[in-house]
Amino acid sequence: MSDLLSVQDVTKVFGGVRAVDGASLSVKEGTITALIGPNGSGKTTLFNIITGYLKADAGRVEFDGNDVTGSDAGRLYRKGLSRTFQQARIFPQLTVQENLVVAGGYGWRKLFTSRVGREDRERADSLLEEFRLDRVSDLFASELSYGQRKLLEFAAVLMSEPKLVLLDEPTAGVNPVLIETMERHVRERNAAGITFLIVEHDMTFVMRLCDPVIVLDAGKPIFAGAPSVVQNNALVLDAYLGS
Amino acid sequence: MLRGGVFVAVLVTLPMLGLQHWFLNLLVFVLMYATMSSSWNLVGGFAGYPSLGHAGFFGIGAYTLALVFKDQVLATGYEPFLLLPLVGLVGALIGWPIALISMRTRADVFAIVTITFLFVVQTLAFNLHSLTGGSQGTALPIPPFSADHFEVPFYYVMVAMLLFTMGLTFATMRSKLGLSLVSIRADEDKARGVGVRVIGVKVLAFSVSVGITSMVGAVWAYYESFIYPQFAVDPLITIAMVLMTFLGGRGTLWGPVLGAVILESGQQYLTYELGGVQLYLIVYALIFLVIILLLPRGILPTIEDRLRLRRRRRRTDEAAAVWPEGPAIPSNTDSLSTLGGGAP
Repeated sequence: MSDLLSVQDVTKVFGGVRAVDGASLSVKEGTITALIGPNGSGKTTLFNIITGYLKADAGRVEFDGNDVTGSDAGRLYRKGLSRTFQQARIFPQLTVQENLVVAGGYGWRKLFTSRVGREDRERADSLLEEFRLDRVSDLFASELSYGQRKLLEFAAVLMSEPKLVLLDEPTAGVNPVLIETMERHVRERNAAGITFLIVEHDMTFVMRLCDPVIVLDAGKPIFAGAPSVVQNNALVLDAYLGS
Repeated sequence: MLRGGVFVAVLVTLPMLGLQHWFLNLLVFVLMYATMSSSWNLVGGFAGYPSLGHAGFFGIGAYTLALVFKDQVLATGYEPFLLLPLVGLVGALIGWPIALISMRTRADVFAIVTITFLFVVQTLAFNLHSLTGGSQGTALPIPPFSADHFEVPFYYVMVAMLLFTMGLTFATMRSKLGLSLVSIRADEDKARGVGVRVIGVKVLAFSVSVGITSMVGAVWAYYESFIYPQFAVDPLITIAMVLMTFLGGRGTLWGPVLGAVILESGQQYLTYELGGVQLYLIVYALIFLVIILLLPRGILPTIEDRLRLRRRRRRTDEAAAVWPEGPAIPSNTDSLSTLGGGAP
């Protein structure tokens, strides 16, 4: 398997804090890779750099064989790199269906076509059915529960048929039934060819779903390997529990 | 569709009813503000960028027309109207770089940047004597229309411009462009992250919006025949556009028009009642307070929300009557609560 994503010596400094400190890691095509680490270890900052929401002070990011360092988030999305957020971010003034349609990554010409065209509707409805959101497709997204918003956000990033999806704490603040649902969707999409990089604190979720697991501490990876090995690694235990 | 047809029919018919000059004059101003509010709505309502610089473009339109027709004698009087698309283009072209720079900021900072632009234009209008005549003003050719029907050509030109702007708004609402603008208003960073062409879309909306405002400025200048910087580039014009849009309902098709009808006719009435002093501004302030307190989303969206709530309540009541022992038809969100987890 080749590397779909490669991060080399990336550094990001906020004031006096080195949030990411020369981090290097790679995500192989077709995997469900986990990125874990204690709070403040730089996971979300690294996510933001990879997805174009933040510019790195140094280092290089390659996606699908191209240097995408410093690329805009929208351009990366249209190239097939999409993400979700720790706190589900949806468009509350749009309907559930429109939340999916707007994430279609359209070119200029399409902007002047119908708000929700036949093709858009078919694609959105199919995803909404898959995520069991079809009964709420005409409601404003503001009327959804938090868990439904998480599902909607996940479904929306699939509209552009991405190659790599970065999920930022997909199970945070949701009930066990939804965690299982999320897990099923990730597995199904991964089987269909999408690669995942997941930041997560729920270790049982990570151990069940992800391989490999990359552990970040103080802004740089300290371990990468199979989940069974991670649990017993002294460096990882030290990072989480202290020596 | 029916509502639109009735609206057009009423607008076309009104001058044929033998209305008095003061009333036609009032209608011309209502139409001007309805057009400007509708155009402001494209950027302030849909995209959520509260521009306070639109009056600068109103002035640019007024002075552009004044410069072209300075010292000219008009044959028919319709020549300035034929030049309006060009005036709109000039406004849009000036608006393009202004938008590119100012729309790097958001919300209150954007408002400050754009109002600064307004004062720059006003200062230039006061000081570029050779072009604008400075504080002494500049004259345009007097429209050679008969005194009996003086307002009518202006009235119909403004009707055409309002319908054009509303048509543009309608098309925007029905297109992916409108969808993109609303997503920018809701969460611009997220919109960028799902591939919405954020910069292009908002710059386009701003340019079109200020282009239309420039055209209205040109019609106003021709109607007045003599323009001064303090009236051609007046912050109160911007304030009125914003207030009208907020009162009627921003991000809607009819809201800005409704707001213009209420506020402009109200202002003219108050000016008549209270004399030339600007006491109507106190009423403006009170209206703004009432909007913030009682109708934060404007008249039309508030009515729409209440109707939607009533319809939903009625459906729930009907379901409870059919199936009294069971739960009323669960709302779609409730039915998925096991999936969805906690409250929003």
